Amino acid sequence: MRDDPSVIALVARVGDGDQDAWDELIERYSPLVWSICARYQLSRQDVADVGQNVWLLLVEQIGKLREPAALPGWLATTTKRECLRVLRAVRRHEHAGLPPEDQMPPDPAATTIEQEIITAERNAALRAAFAELPRTCHELLSMLMSDPPPAYVDVSATLGMPVGSIGPMRARCLDRLRHSQHLVAVLGNQAEDIEVREPRGEHRG
Amino acid sequence: MSIVAKSWDDDDTLLAALKQAVRARRDVPPDFVEAGKSAFAWHNIDAELAQLTYDSSRDSELATSVRAESASIRALTFSSAHLTIELEVTPDSLVGQVIPAQSAVVTVQPRSGAETVVPADEIGLFSIRPIPPGPFQMYCRTDAGVDVLTGWITL
Repeated sequence: MRDDPSVIALVARVGDGDQDAWDELIERYSPLVWSICARYQLSRQDVADVGQNVWLLLVEQIGKLREPAALPGWLATTTKRECLRVLRAVRRHEHAGLPPEDQMPPDPAATTIEQEIITAERNAALRAAFAELPRTCHELLSMLMSDPPPAYVDVSATLGMPVGSIGPMRARCLDRLRHSQHLVAVLGNQAEDIEVREPRGEHRG
Repeated sequence: MSIVAKSWDDDDTLLAALKQAVRARRDVPPDFVEAGKSAFAWHNIDAELAQLTYDSSRDSELATSVRAESASIRALTFSSAHLTIELEVTPDSLVGQVIPAQSAVVTVQPRSGAETVVPADEIGLFSIRPIPPGPFQMYCRTDAGVDVLTGWITL
């Protein structure tokens, strides 16, 4: 799960001063940093400060990361530490005066940092796989993911695709997604987990 | 995790997982992502990061007492292991001091636009005029060769 080869390649390119690789890294990991900030109910300004410090520390440290695959863990830990630092500073001052819209909403389903990393990595792999799908698949799945889900008649009219083709096309596109190298990188290690666990279950049975 | 991995064999579950992934990215404000991208401007500068350790506008008690004397002074302090930079916002300029007092060169780098370079004199005093209109960072290099970079500052 933590040895996605595309991340290792990105980190190496960043080391060579490649701004595009850096941008891609930020695109990939900003949801992780953001979701950890969301756990601490900081003001928007404080979240911006945390983000800036985390990115600057990353600029400073990325060349020194011994294991590029450990990047998500490093980011999560650094973000948490920066949030706690800001939180300590905020608590020293009056906090009640902030308007509600200036506060981050509390996260009702707060999870552990480790879960946050796993979810963020899984999401990043899904997005990377999705971005590489052919245009037809990208358009179709994007439409099917809208809220509320559109009727097939509307999908058909928008994409110029016969209603009868939508179901089979959806299945083909999702299958392509499932077999993307990005997801295989994530699922590969999980599959090993399954193999290790299942025989034990049978013996227990 | 193994449960999730297995359930991705199911089309509906996979589509729902993708939807969640796309939404997680959409929830992140664009300026948060942009700030991350601009941070790379500093990648070839080997500087210590100076953290914002004091901001008078966040200290309501102090802000009240300062307001009583002067309507406009906001004070900020940035600290790193080797250097502290103090900054005061006056109506038309920023007045700063490098501590311990020493001469230095201070670079003001706005997020968009050209950088400004100002000298700090032998007791570390410098002034920036006009006040940068948007977010900016300060990069300070002392004559002794200490490099310090602040986070983004928005006044």
